[in-house]
Amino acid sequence: MKIIEISKLQKTYDSDSVPVHAVNGVDLSFEEGEFAAIVGPSGSGKTTLLNIIGGLDDATEGDVTINNVKITELSSRKLTDFRMHNIGFVFQAYNLIPVLTAKENVEFIMHLQGEKKEARDTRATELLKAVGLGEMVNRRPSKLSGGQQQRVAVARALASKPKFVLADEPTANLDSKSTENLLDIMERLNKEEKITFIFSTHDQRVVNKAHRIITLEDGKIISDVRKN
Amino acid sequence: MKTNIKLAWRNLWRNRRRTVIAISSIVFSVLLASWMRSMQEGSYDSMIDNSVKFYSGYLQVQDTAFWEERTIDNGFKASDDLKSKIKNVKDVTLVSERLESFALAADHIHSKPAMVMGIEPEAEDQITKISQKIKRGRFLKSGDKGVVLAEGLAGYLNLNVGDTLVMISQGYHGISANGLFEIIGIMTHPNPDFNKRMVYTDINEAREFYSASGISSSLVVMTNNHYKVNHIKKGISQILPLENRVMTWSEMQPELVQLIQSDRGGGIIMLGILYVVIAFGMFSVVMMMVKERKREFGVIHAVGMKKRKLSIVVFLETIMIGLIGCLIGLVISYIFCFYFYNNPLPLTGEMAEAYAQYGMEPYMFFSMKSSLFYNQMILVFFISIFISIFPVTNIHRLKITKAMRA
Repeated sequence: MKIIEISKLQKTYDSDSVPVHAVNGVDLSFEEGEFAAIVGPSGSGKTTLLNIIGGLDDATEGDVTINNVKITELSSRKLTDFRMHNIGFVFQAYNLIPVLTAKENVEFIMHLQGEKKEARDTRATELLKAVGLGEMVNRRPSKLSGGQQQRVAVARALASKPKFVLADEPTANLDSKSTENLLDIMERLNKEEKITFIFSTHDQRVVNKAHRIITLEDGKIISDVRKN
Repeated sequence: MKTNIKLAWRNLWRNRRRTVIAISSIVFSVLLASWMRSMQEGSYDSMIDNSVKFYSGYLQVQDTAFWEERTIDNGFKASDDLKSKIKNVKDVTLVSERLESFALAADHIHSKPAMVMGIEPEAEDQITKISQKIKRGRFLKSGDKGVVLAEGLAGYLNLNVGDTLVMISQGYHGISANGLFEIIGIMTHPNPDFNKRMVYTDINEAREFYSASGISSSLVVMTNNHYKVNHIKKGISQILPLENRVMTWSEMQPELVQLIQSDRGGGIIMLGILYVVIAFGMFSVVMMMVKERKREFGVIHAVGMKKRKLSIVVFLETIMIGLIGCLIGLVISYIFCFYFYNNPLPLTGEMAEAYAQYGMEPYMFFSMKSSLFYNQMILVFFISIFISIFPVTNIHRLKITKAMRA
């Protein structure tokens, strides 16, 4: 079942009156349960594409449809709501809220969704256990290593029970052990919970784990390969 | 809301030193502003109290024509019933009758226009404390037939205690008035002008002199302080007959009100400058807070927090800084001013001499009027609200992708 459909997507920046096509006519779709990586050199448009899919950036042209909702036509307010309920984000720099503990960071989105305290508490604890941080629920981000923070970020991304998770260079700041650990967790969640993960990455270890590899160059898809 | 408050509170303390500095600047500003205003208002209170105790009293009940034409013919008969009703008005502490007019005062060679004040000695002494200003002889008692003379007048006429003062004047409704009065005492009036022309006598003696049986020119009404004057005026107005009116010290001494107002205006300009400084200090802290967390705002908004909620959190942070600073500032200011209220600053040198010359205590007094303190708090609170417009606008304009690159 297709959860994301991208059609004729274009993003053009007017840089010193010379238009730069960060995304240039991309047509793409993702099935539920995919574990896909978008790769390409710096400036190829990976992050821009991911941002537009996630509703964080506007497209110049084209449509992004998620679960039959054209997010490119949603108002800013509705888009914020849509993101909260449907999309999980994992960022390169973890981007946890520094004044909240690991558990509170995970609970944060559920709180925005209006979940009851008991439900939030149970799910946050479960998710942190699932990413191997059951013992560190009350630590603030500053007391966690980079790998541990990124695992909290994964747990946070899953807290809202999203349709899919967008991960922008999630391993870029991690050492090999933390990267391995994080990818194993994501792969397990993908297999067991059927959660769709879409990565933008330079990291060969992520590419090796991915089931589908989409290569971008100058904003265009130059290859889209599915592994068996 | 609980989460918003929790987030705002924790955000406040993520950079402890900066928050402490911001709060301290507010505390010191509130302290300085309160101290300045307390000293200013304290000196006005002292000026007013001294002024009303020199002469006017806090309020006076008069005939409606008296203030414009202050002659004995515009006096009135104050019934015991009226006096008792006025005494019963809330916060009235004292009512005293006066009959005041003018006369030519003379010894056997010199003469000088004098102001004759017929008083109820015991009651008047509670108002003007004349007995404490007696230099020679003694103060009046009810039923005395003599007079107490101001030192300047006595000196001009070369008269002393035991001598006889001659007074010639026009009495009630044109009757001629003249009489000889024994000088019982000589006093120093704190007002230099009054010191040259005051003659005090018992009110009944004055009435006899002026052939004004039962007539008073005013009823002086006293209370504890000038803040109570307006509601007393309202209370008295309701019981007065049509031919009388009640005037407050501020209506009788508009020049004093003007002096206070112009001085207060200067103080408020200083205060305004101080608050502009506070506002810029707070603004710089809030601006730093917003700039350094731009990326975080982007992420929070990206994961689903609406801009409105995010604005509330930042708004709460600004208000919290303002309120904490105000509350601490308020407590410290209160304690600080309370100390000076009970231990006024003594004045020295020429300033002290000038105060003493005008019969004022040579001290810098402080006021503990509660509005002085909570006004500072309200002001800083509004400054905080005004400053929070900046982060709120900033969040409203937030572009997630730009913010996350910050």
